Amino acid sequence: MAHLNRKRTVHSMSIREKRDLYAFVGFTAPTFILLGIFIFWPIFYSFYLSLFKWNMISPRKTFLGFQNYRDMYNDPVFWLVVKNTLLMAFFTVIVKMAISLYLASQLNKKVKGSSVYRAIIFSPTFTANVAIAMVWAWIFEPTYGLLRVVLKPLGFPMIDWIHSTSHSLPAVIIVLIWSGIGYDMVLFLAALKNISMEIYDAALVDGANSYQIFWRITFPLISPTTFFLLITGFINVLKAFDIVRIMTEGGPLNSSNVVVHFLYQNAFQWFRTGYASALALILFLFIMFITLIQNRLSKRWVHY
Amino acid sequence: MKKKRVAVVVVIAMVLCLSTSLWAAGQVEQTKPEGPIKIIYWRSLTGVAGEAQEEIVKRFNESRSDIIVESQFQGAYAEILQKLQAGLAAGDVPDLVLLDSPHLQIFAKEGVLVNLDEFVAKEPKNFLQDYIPGLLADSYYNNSLYALPALRSTPLLYINEDMLAEAGLPRRAPATWDEFREYCKKLTKVDANGEPIQYGVGFTMGATTAHWYFQGAVYAFDGKISDENFVVHLTEAPAVAAAKLWQDMVFKDKSAVPSTSHDDLFNKKVAMVFGSTGSMGNVMNRATFKVLPAFIPGQVRNGVPVGGSVIAMPSTDKWRQWAAWEFMKFFTGTDSQAYLAEKTGYMPNSTSASNHPDLVKYYAANPHWKVAIDQLKFVQPQASVISLPKGTEILRQMLEKLLIANMDVYTVMAETKADLDKEYNENFK
Amino acid sequence: MQNNSIATHRFYKIVSKIATHCILLAATITIGMPFVWMLVTAIKSPQEVSIFPPIWWPEVIRWDNFVTAWNTAPFGRFYINSIVTAAAGVLLGLITSAFAAYAFARIRFKYRDFFFLLMLAAMMIPGQIALIPNYVILAKLKWINTYQGIVVPHIANVFGAFLLRQYFMTIPDSLFDAAEIDGLGHMKIMLHVALPLSKPVLGTLLLYLFIQKWNAYLWPLIVTSKQNMRTLPVGLAMIRSAEYAIGPEHLMAASIFVLVPVLIIYFLAQKQLIEGIATGAVKG
Repeated sequence: MAHLNRKRTVHSMSIREKRDLYAFVGFTAPTFILLGIFIFWPIFYSFYLSLFKWNMISPRKTFLGFQNYRDMYNDPVFWLVVKNTLLMAFFTVIVKMAISLYLASQLNKKVKGSSVYRAIIFSPTFTANVAIAMVWAWIFEPTYGLLRVVLKPLGFPMIDWIHSTSHSLPAVIIVLIWSGIGYDMVLFLAALKNISMEIYDAALVDGANSYQIFWRITFPLISPTTFFLLITGFINVLKAFDIVRIMTEGGPLNSSNVVVHFLYQNAFQWFRTGYASALALILFLFIMFITLIQNRLSKRWVHY
Repeated sequence: MKKKRVAVVVVIAMVLCLSTSLWAAGQVEQTKPEGPIKIIYWRSLTGVAGEAQEEIVKRFNESRSDIIVESQFQGAYAEILQKLQAGLAAGDVPDLVLLDSPHLQIFAKEGVLVNLDEFVAKEPKNFLQDYIPGLLADSYYNNSLYALPALRSTPLLYINEDMLAEAGLPRRAPATWDEFREYCKKLTKVDANGEPIQYGVGFTMGATTAHWYFQGAVYAFDGKISDENFVVHLTEAPAVAAAKLWQDMVFKDKSAVPSTSHDDLFNKKVAMVFGSTGSMGNVMNRATFKVLPAFIPGQVRNGVPVGGSVIAMPSTDKWRQWAAWEFMKFFTGTDSQAYLAEKTGYMPNSTSASNHPDLVKYYAANPHWKVAIDQLKFVQPQASVISLPKGTEILRQMLEKLLIANMDVYTVMAETKADLDKEYNENFK
Repeated sequence: MQNNSIATHRFYKIVSKIATHCILLAATITIGMPFVWMLVTAIKSPQEVSIFPPIWWPEVIRWDNFVTAWNTAPFGRFYINSIVTAAAGVLLGLITSAFAAYAFARIRFKYRDFFFLLMLAAMMIPGQIALIPNYVILAKLKWINTYQGIVVPHIANVFGAFLLRQYFMTIPDSLFDAAEIDGLGHMKIMLHVALPLSKPVLGTLLLYLFIQKWNAYLWPLIVTSKQNMRTLPVGLAMIRSAEYAIGPEHLMAASIFVLVPVLIIYFLAQKQLIEGIATGAVKG
């Protein structure tokens, strides 16, 4: 009986288990080594840096303890940036998903040329952000921009979107929605296609109207996709940088500044490496928090 | 007794050996490394100014076989700043770098730039006297020299001369800010719906340039933004007057508009823009109309902040430093400066360059380019606060508050002063 | 009476079909317009660029705008750098992802789930937290301004590993068991069983990764200081600082340089790409 209490060491594993162990380690080592060096280690190093005042130039680092975090708490620009980021994430994701779901439902009706529609609507997904930002900056140009063609007949006065404190964030949101609709639409379309016609037929027989069909049948059945897009969409917007950097540079007066761009400014323009690292850490914690919520909620809300 | 003597002899021998080998090692260090020394020069600016720099590098490399300069374009001044920061953090720096003049102080303070005093000491006695004092002044930190003036500029007013004629204005620049205001009113046009189709002027809001032109306005009102001791004077009458003028032009007269690109001038959206003497080449090339470059308006007096770049040396290796110094002398020397000034519109940085026959001939044939030279007599160093890490950003936000958000002038000036004081106390002292 | 209701029914059908087409057409035009505008602007002359109302087709097509834009910076070199770094990144990324995916799908290990979650956690971490630390690491390795500096930090591709693992798990156990019985080790099983059967997913992943790396902006910007090591997006963003020398028409022309290869790939393979992403993500 004693042998049942033996600790399982490598020596006591069967050949097969040993082979599995070595294979597992060998197969996953490259990935984990790379992740370890370039993803996980930076978190700790960033935390370390966030406790110092360092301008990246001199070898001298001043220990501050948690002063950077206190400064962040008291910095009105930080809170403005947080507000902008959350507004941006919220509006972008909701509007984008609503539009793309609607378009997906239209595409789902067997229409001719649907693959052409789909291909064009999806194309911004693969376009470089730099190019997107540059063409949209030109579209938003108050005097000669394309947007004015649409807005002028509708009676709107000339608005300089990018240089207005009230319109710069909406401009960024518009661009993010524009470039993200395709991706969401494609996923929704796949989810819609997965619903078998029999369910709809049964509902029609029961006398359901289209409103009931959508909310009681379609929507619950696509909930895994909806949830996935909601969470990943939200997190992706939280990480948005390229468009803000190239189109508005966060301005004017931080009206379109978001967390990641603010981080970049602090680290690479204003020599506040410690403060920037603190920002990075806060962003990181917030995203982990959202991911945790996602885990809990997915168990409750998603229907299969 | 014999042992002791032996010991003494051994010790003396050892000391002799040690010192001769040290001396020999010292000698070895003195000899130049074999082959040409290669140094790296980080430069900025594109278009005409970029090409002109490449030409200077080429001429230098052709004239010497013991040094090769490799020039690397690093983007705009702001990008060079980031690159240099990151490079210093990682121990990977160029031998020479073209720095936007306000950035010199930051790096000099941290001791990452070579103090040039010892190099100057090896040159003939009047080496520094040839440089125009107003252009050399901001290359010093703590009374030591850390850079030489490379491509210096002053702010100018670029005017669409055709629009002046169209508006019935004389074909010359406004002499004072008051006159400037009147000009702008006449140069503003609206269409049938009352929407403006042409403004008098576009006030630059660029991240690295917005503050510069405002400094010129404050100097004209006989004030300053800050002094050498970093005391901020923004809340005093001259600065307030300049700020109020600009704000009223945007919101009361509606004859001015915040602008981010010189395209506004080329597109004929505005009749005048502020620009650098350094962009003169490009502006003249791109404009499809007659351009009149002019002084920044005066008011109580004339005064313009010097701008542009200096060339500094982050190099850490002794021989590369020597090579870098040779290139610095060449770049800031008479012939190169005459060439650069002629090609780009940046100012010749020395008296001898200003008097170079090629340049004199060129200015005679193209009188407009002489504007830069003539304005030299009004040149002053820039405000000290722009050397603070966040200094130019704070000033730019001040302009955004004034010209975009239309906030009360006194409030804006007070806030800006508070921000600058804080920045100085926390990050510079 | 019956005739009427059939007619009405048909009428509604046609109307709804037209409505659907209209909606889709409107969406397609809205999404596609900026691309069209980019192209139109790129071939205009400077005077035509700044006119309102805008001109939709220039009088003379200014192909020389492309030449001017190309000459503003060494775009040829940018192309080479983008191709090399994207290709290397994709290849190495696929290899490491495939190995990891296989391990998580088919190798029995007590702590396998823990490590899987650990890997997933990495996917959630925003890249910006790693900017400064990664730069310092690269500098110590003297990898600044090198291809490996651009490529290596982003080789580990969690999304790819996740996707491949999903796919491997759909391959019937019987195939794997048969291979095991034949005495094949894990390496051989992966190479001869798992990978060949995953060609569609691998293809999709390859294209997807390539485009992602092609479009990357922030990291290559930080890692490269030499002009001749820059990639296309970085080069494109940099010519904006030449604002006095070039105008919107040249910026749009340069943008097209960056977009063309990706658009070609996209339109040749979009069906596969779109469907690959749809199936990969929906099962999640």
